[in-house]
Amino acid sequence: MRAPHRPRLAAVAVAVLALASILALPVTEAAAQARGGTLKMSYPEPTHLNPAIVSGTPTGIPGVQLFAGLVLHDDKFQPQPYLAERWTISPDGRTYTFHLVKNATFHDGKPITSEDVKFSIETVKANHPFGVAMHRALEAVETPNPSTVVFRMSHPNPSFMSVVAPILLPVLPKHVYGTGDDIKKHPANQKPVGSGPFKFVEWQPGRHLILERFDKFFKPGRPYLDRVIFEYITDPAARLAAIETGAIHLLPYNYVGVGNLKRVEQLAHLGVTTKGYEAIGPLFWLEINLRKKELSDVRVRQALNHALDKQLILKDIFLGYGKVADGPLVSASPFYNPKIRRYEYSLDKANKLLDEAGYKRGADGTRFKLVLDFIPGTADTQSVGEYIREQAKKVGIDMTLRASPDFPTWAGRMGRWEFDLSLDAVFNWPDPVVGVERTYISSNIKQAVWTNVMGYNNPKVDELFAQAQREQTLEKRRAIYHQVQDVLTAELPIIWLSEIGYTTVWNKDYDGIPTNIWGTMSPFDTVHWKKAK
Amino acid sequence: MSLGRRLRWVRANLAACLGLVLLAGVLGLATLGPVLHRGDPWERVGRRFETPGGRFALGTDHQGRDVLAGIVVGARTSLLVGVAAAAIILVIGVTVGAVAGYHGGRLDEVLMRVTEFFQILPAFLFAMVLVAIFSPRIAVIVLAIGVSNWAGTARLVRAEFLSLRERDYVVAARALGVGDARIIRREILPNALPPVIVNGSLTVGVAILFETGLSFLGLADPNVMSWGYMIGSSRIYLRDAWWPVTFPGLAIAGSVIGLSLFGDWLNDVLNPRLKERRQTA
Repeated sequence: MRAPHRPRLAAVAVAVLALASILALPVTEAAAQARGGTLKMSYPEPTHLNPAIVSGTPTGIPGVQLFAGLVLHDDKFQPQPYLAERWTISPDGRTYTFHLVKNATFHDGKPITSEDVKFSIETVKANHPFGVAMHRALEAVETPNPSTVVFRMSHPNPSFMSVVAPILLPVLPKHVYGTGDDIKKHPANQKPVGSGPFKFVEWQPGRHLILERFDKFFKPGRPYLDRVIFEYITDPAARLAAIETGAIHLLPYNYVGVGNLKRVEQLAHLGVTTKGYEAIGPLFWLEINLRKKELSDVRVRQALNHALDKQLILKDIFLGYGKVADGPLVSASPFYNPKIRRYEYSLDKANKLLDEAGYKRGADGTRFKLVLDFIPGTADTQSVGEYIREQAKKVGIDMTLRASPDFPTWAGRMGRWEFDLSLDAVFNWPDPVVGVERTYISSNIKQAVWTNVMGYNNPKVDELFAQAQREQTLEKRRAIYHQVQDVLTAELPIIWLSEIGYTTVWNKDYDGIPTNIWGTMSPFDTVHWKKAK
Repeated sequence: MSLGRRLRWVRANLAACLGLVLLAGVLGLATLGPVLHRGDPWERVGRRFETPGGRFALGTDHQGRDVLAGIVVGARTSLLVGVAAAAIILVIGVTVGAVAGYHGGRLDEVLMRVTEFFQILPAFLFAMVLVAIFSPRIAVIVLAIGVSNWAGTARLVRAEFLSLRERDYVVAARALGVGDARIIRREILPNALPPVIVNGSLTVGVAILFETGLSFLGLADPNVMSWGYMIGSSRIYLRDAWWPVTFPGLAIAGSVIGLSLFGDWLNDVLNPRLKERRQTA
């Protein structure tokens, strides 16, 4: 009489398991929504906390905790609702209408209205370093009612959706910042009243910045964390010790130090990811002053490109973090052209091209001299410079490195065009309109760093960039940007070296660290402390 | 000489012997090194961080460069920087000290206030500022070290001159109508020189340390291989590879200790009173 019992037992077991899994589901969901915990991170200290008037990550990362934007993006560059719950784009691509979530308030309790959005975008256009580039086409902002804002463009403006994320369009309270004072010196930049998931508590310069959960944040149930604290630990060794021991929990943008990543990867309680930098698109490259006689010859530039083993730079100096770059767009960009011209490593080809260009080796084996500048501050950059100098020697170019004692010295040399070659790091940003065309269009040949300091002037490239700004469909824009990449990689106004492989290191007691295209320049309302009850 | 006295003599000179050996080693490295160990210190010759004792006696650094080649070429740089900076210090220090000490009065007042101004500036910070303003090139680095370190030498020379200028032979020379410049050069300076020479040999060591310190902080000339540069560029990898930092560190320690012991020995030799004391001991 035992046999019949078995199936019954099995049935009971199945039932119990099923019950358990049904019970388990709400349990884990409840856990995911449990509030509490403090996320401590370390990052360079900003000068102020207003991302509407400055670019850069030190202000940006706390900035997007304090201020909400109209949309967020997923990891495929697709816009997602944020402060705007929905939006429409007119068929001619010239009118963008956003409908804001109702009941959203600023940290001082006043409602967030379309007037605030209008004020914010006007502030960005007038003050942000990319303000004009991002909003060149913006003609008028209309506010038909408090929860609707309409942007009218002079021509179709498809990059617009990527520049209304919180980092590029932080929504500021007009009643605080619009008092008529100079916004660059506004006292609220140090003590902001924001619209984002976390509100300002305290900033002790040189020590820490404390942000606290905003209980009336417009996304119900969010954020989960009680506090986000930025600890300003400037000593790299102390920082490493802090993340190893759990005293801090998050180090984005390689702030852990590239040389320490291998060690950190071994630690079970720490996670390392390279995701979350797609919209930043950081490129490391060699800028060429085309006004210099030898460098004005494309064969010389091609020879230089052939003389550099980019794979070796990536592997030996950047320790394998990142990718080799051969063109002006990062490979994560939806406009990237995988079929661009690449110049393989070959000293023979380099020597041959230099011979063809008419620069024969002199008695001492030297063809001509060049000076190489580099951004000061990072050991890696100088290491690349030393490598390039040695490679140049092998093809008969006598290159000297010129160190700049500080950033302003280097930026000044770039801005005055007083350089032959320089190593530089420049961000693509989410759309070529914001971060790419500025380097190559002739109207941006300016006496300022991070413009077209090379003096590159090609009317066809200008025309293509202008056309790509106006096209509406991704396919058409992609086709145009593919052409741009073909022209630029043939003419080499820049020798692209690598895509910087930024990493985020975090403590696995926390999950939900943003890995969308904006990474840690996204709101941390998704971050959850696993030990919270 | 009894055995005990001989032993004491050896012991008393042991430090001097060690100093001379170390100094000879550095000089040998700077002069003969490039002949014995050929190689471009900047060239990538091996893999990253090859351990010492393998293909490369002292291993390779983070860029696969031969550490030994760097030590050899760096010896030249370090000595050159040390000697050149010490020369600048001596020229400024002796001139200011001699003029102030000999003339006294208003001129002394003015020169000593200027000297004090340089003395109260933290020398290393001052050198850093100079290099940062005029960009890190080897000539600038040498000048910066010289300009930030001459005040002590000037004080020393002035003190010597103050005590020597009223000596009988100086007074006699003055009575004979010998000019000031000649008295300074021919009568006083030779007698004031022994402490200055001792100070000078120590100054070379100080200058080498300054160059190292500046390089450590990233203010090295990126086109000139030096021990300080080697430490500065490799220190961030110390937890992965000790040798690119340790060997130049030992080289610097060796040469500075050598110079310091050599200076002590010179002091003993050149100071007659100390010599007597040693002999009567």
